[in-house]
Amino acid sequence: MKIRTLRLLAKEGAANVYKNKLMSAASMVTITTTLFILGLVLLIIVNVITKLEAQKRNLQVRFYLRVEATRLEQEEVAIFIENCRATGVVTAYEYESREQAYENAKKDLKHESLMEGLTPENFAEGYFVTLANPNDSDQFIAKLKLLSGVDTQWITYPKQELERISAIVGVFNYVAVFVLAVLMIISVLLISNTIRLTVFARRKEIEIMKYVGANDWFIRFPFIIEGMIIGLLGALLSFLLTSQAYVWIKNGLTALFSSIKITDLQLMEFDQFAIRILVVNIIFGMTIGVIGSFMSVKKHLDV
Amino acid sequence: MIRFVDTTKIYSNGVVGVKNVTLNIEKGEFVFVIGPSGSGKSTFLKLIMHEEAPTEGEVYVNGYSIHNMPRSEVPYLRRSLGVVFQDFRLLPNKTAYENVAFAMQIVEALPREIRRQVPLALGLVGLSKKARAYPGQLSGGEQQRVVLARALVNNPAVLIADEPTGNLDPKTSMEIMELLDEINQRGTTVIVATHEKNIVDSMKKRVITLDKGELVSDVKKGLYTDED
Repeated sequence: MKIRTLRLLAKEGAANVYKNKLMSAASMVTITTTLFILGLVLLIIVNVITKLEAQKRNLQVRFYLRVEATRLEQEEVAIFIENCRATGVVTAYEYESREQAYENAKKDLKHESLMEGLTPENFAEGYFVTLANPNDSDQFIAKLKLLSGVDTQWITYPKQELERISAIVGVFNYVAVFVLAVLMIISVLLISNTIRLTVFARRKEIEIMKYVGANDWFIRFPFIIEGMIIGLLGALLSFLLTSQAYVWIKNGLTALFSSIKITDLQLMEFDQFAIRILVVNIIFGMTIGVIGSFMSVKKHLDV
Repeated sequence: MIRFVDTTKIYSNGVVGVKNVTLNIEKGEFVFVIGPSGSGKSTFLKLIMHEEAPTEGEVYVNGYSIHNMPRSEVPYLRRSLGVVFQDFRLLPNKTAYENVAFAMQIVEALPREIRRQVPLALGLVGLSKKARAYPGQLSGGEQQRVVLARALVNNPAVLIADEPTGNLDPKTSMEIMELLDEINQRGTTVIVATHEKNIVDSMKKRVITLDKGELVSDVKKGLYTDED
């Protein structure tokens, strides 16, 4: 088909969106509704996953130096950790000196008698390290063990917890894909139903085109452009709705949580994924429109 | 040009469309196909334009063979034909001009050519002044003229008309027939299915008579003898 013809047919499709206002509106509402639901579900999942990932990053590698470590060995460890931070392997770390360890122990034990005879010299220096990537923990710990100042028996990392969180994130990822797939199928069915009505109303037209000698693509193309435009409009409308609804829900939840004194359960800001949601909406909307058109026209082409 | 070779069409519900029809229509002929309702006139035309495929036998149209024709070839066959229907079949949301232009857009004619040919075709059928009107704003006769213009605009070798005057008054019918005759004079083969005695009798063209799907007579310069 020539470019000139494609342009002509595209124009035709665009004009048809307007000429068949009512059906266009009906299709658009269908797309908007499904994308809106899709958007909210995705936002919830993104929130949960982000929270979990943050939780994962909060897990710390804790280790202590040997009590009898020399000054040189202490410095070696300090330099190692600093290097790790400089290269980005470690995002942050806390250092606990012998004195602090002594004080903390005193606080924790409460009974003075238990601390009798102990001085800061009996305590080890500790490091509580947050890794940039929790999955690097094994490698990091292996390196630690090579340092003679580190007490290898006291390196701890909540590996189980990490694995549990990872598993949950994995499940949520599956759920996200599943929900996406189901909603996609539902929307295609809904939209193709609506477009089928449009096409049915215009089957006479299709028939005439066939009798005059139009080939399938000549007839199909305008409908596909039409579906694409309707999908795009539906996507934009649903984006607006989703952003409004999300902000509304977020504010509502914040108010609710703060009234019961929970402050760390904030939803993320919408801006953080606005672009992503917009792109997903547009891709889905247009795909649904195109597939719907394609499927519905197909039936009437056999004349 | 058009050749039926022992062609039979039986519909899936058992109704016989045409039965063992063999005939030839040469280039430049004007042919009436007559017969009572249900005689197979429409099936005869539908076979030519591949709206239906023959059950048995073969139909050749402009070098295409209709039996087992690949789906993708059908549009090309139809572009070599001009078709006129009883119920007009104009695109309702396009103007007269756009309807005619549509037939040219399908064959991907140059815009320049469309701008030249469409007014010519509308002029030929006497509708230059109604180019911008939509089908709903035109009378039956006018709509049928638009259909004629659409059928002609690509200079088809064959023009097929199924009861072209079925929805028109006698005077308008005559005018349409005169137009068809004029088109035929210019070299186009014209095939008209009708059951209007007056028209057939007055035109003195070749008459093919069908009854219950069978070819019962084929007369050059014939009359509408069937008084049914």
